[in-house]
Amino acid sequence: MDIVFTAATVRYAGRVALHPLDLALSERRIGIVGLNGSGKTTMARLINGLVKPTEGTVRVDGLDTVADEKTARGKTGFIFQNPQHQMILPILAEDIAFGLKNRGLAKAEIAERTEAILARFDISHLARRRVHELSGGETQLAAIASVLVTGPDLLILDEPTNQLDLKNRALIERTVASLPEQVIVITHDLALIDGFDRVLVFHEGRLAADDTPAEAIGAYRKIAAC
Amino acid sequence: MLNGLDIEGDSPLHRMPVRGKLVLLFAAAVMLFVVSGLYVLVPALVLSAGLLLSTGIGAGQAFRRTRFVLFTVLLVAAANYVFVSPHEAAVVLCRLAALVLLAAAVTATTGISAFMDEIARLLTPLERYGFVRAADVSLAVGLVIRFVPEILARYRDIAEAHRARGLPVRPLTTLVPLIILTLKDADTIAMAIDARGFRRH
Amino acid sequence: MSTRDIVLVALFAAIIVVLGLLPPITLGFIPVPITAQTLGVMLAGCILGAKRGAAAVLLVLLLVAIGLPVLSGGRGGLAVFAGPGAGYLVGFVPGAYVCGLIAERLVREDQAELSQFLSFLAAAVVGGIAVVYLFGIPWLAYMSGKAFFETAAASLVFLPGDLIKAFVAMLAGRAVLAGYPLLPQRA
Repeated sequence: MDIVFTAATVRYAGRVALHPLDLALSERRIGIVGLNGSGKTTMARLINGLVKPTEGTVRVDGLDTVADEKTARGKTGFIFQNPQHQMILPILAEDIAFGLKNRGLAKAEIAERTEAILARFDISHLARRRVHELSGGETQLAAIASVLVTGPDLLILDEPTNQLDLKNRALIERTVASLPEQVIVITHDLALIDGFDRVLVFHEGRLAADDTPAEAIGAYRKIAAC
Repeated sequence: MLNGLDIEGDSPLHRMPVRGKLVLLFAAAVMLFVVSGLYVLVPALVLSAGLLLSTGIGAGQAFRRTRFVLFTVLLVAAANYVFVSPHEAAVVLCRLAALVLLAAAVTATTGISAFMDEIARLLTPLERYGFVRAADVSLAVGLVIRFVPEILARYRDIAEAHRARGLPVRPLTTLVPLIILTLKDADTIAMAIDARGFRRH
Repeated sequence: MSTRDIVLVALFAAIIVVLGLLPPITLGFIPVPITAQTLGVMLAGCILGAKRGAAAVLLVLLLVAIGLPVLSGGRGGLAVFAGPGAGYLVGFVPGAYVCGLIAERLVREDQAELSQFLSFLAAAVVGGIAVVYLFGIPWLAYMSGKAFFETAAASLVFLPGDLIKAFVAMLAGRAVLAGYPLLPQRA
């Protein structure tokens, strides 16, 4: 899917979170790094419409994120940092099914697609478990399943491994690597974006580097060091 | 942690639709308050108790469920015994206890999802007036059940931190951080809900 | 209601449920342990305001009605609404609403601390006690048949405990306002 930023700017009272950005993304694996407050989170949230550009436009697969908000958002799944905040119903399978229920699908189809996504991530055995009993990694995996069950083409992950221990971090890394969907990951975990197609570095609201992982991470280290 | 009070079973009450049970309960309530003759109220009490037990709940469980409410009924009946007459006490006792046991029988035979489905049905005509949406209500119910264990765990953490610092565990010093920390989560949870497009259909 | 409002309402309802799961508090001079749960009603109004506070309380009552044992002591189900004390429960909703209304109208973030305390206390007492009793006592009286006067008088035994709760709600309401203000300001 093509994501096109045209002079996209985000201003809040008194400060500029993102200076005018012109960018076209279409690679299968894109990483975004930057210090906290660099604008990377704002940029990512422009893509699924959680943040609207103060000026300029953002188009996802040709759809304007403001004018065609609902449809554009339907094409994108978003995973947040804290696994606990994303699972909103008590039983895992219910949470997954809820997204489908809202689309008016038949009960049988909802059950089918829920089972399929659980099997896909190897968490079928967790289907009837209470969400608060799952480990951080399992919860994050469940969140990914819940988001992907509605079939978005693109998955954006905002610092998905920040709150996970090493083992769960590895689990998420493996999972992300295996996804056929297009993936954009914001992360401090540089190992996560190692084999990616393209890495963007943000600094103080601007795009500071846009290159292969090795080059971009090199640029990022320089920025972070000073 | 939060399991419903309904129990498995196949009694006639179990098989009855939710709306029917609620209508029946309401009708019974009206009847119980309009009538004051013991010749009706005593059999009504016996019938209610029988209905409750017919659900398969077992006397022990039935008692555990209703003892707090029945205790207040007993107090009210006692007040009548002391200040009015034994006859009046019996009337009040039978009337209130019958209603309580009947209500307990409905709860025992109706699952949470059955209730939620019925609520969705009842709310659908009101949705047109923009009052409240059935989907929002079920989302809210789900959110509560989902987060109660987390909030409880958070309270325990706060209490433990108090003890570690040698502070007494007082309501004020524990509840304020509990409330603030919990409500602060609302923003990110709401964002996750919006990101999944839940409330735009 | 925005998504954020719905989440706030649900989280507060969950807090009220948790309050019911905590052991009852014994304050030295009162022999009867008081449960923190009814405190939750006053807090709902004082912290979330009228509309959201009432919604949170209503949500808890809904959970009780559909058969969840979320009232302190593990009580739940329709039996709770069939008892003589049910009027108080029902009264919690308008109680939280009025409490929130008063808090919204009287409390300002830039006020002196004492003014804020007094405003929250007024909100808690009028909404959390007076309005709740306005629903609770008539219901209790009606259910008590001919002994209505005596039972209504007897129910006032809860007043001291409730006044203490109002006091705690006042302190907590103000503390939360200072830490994470959510109270809508109504002119």
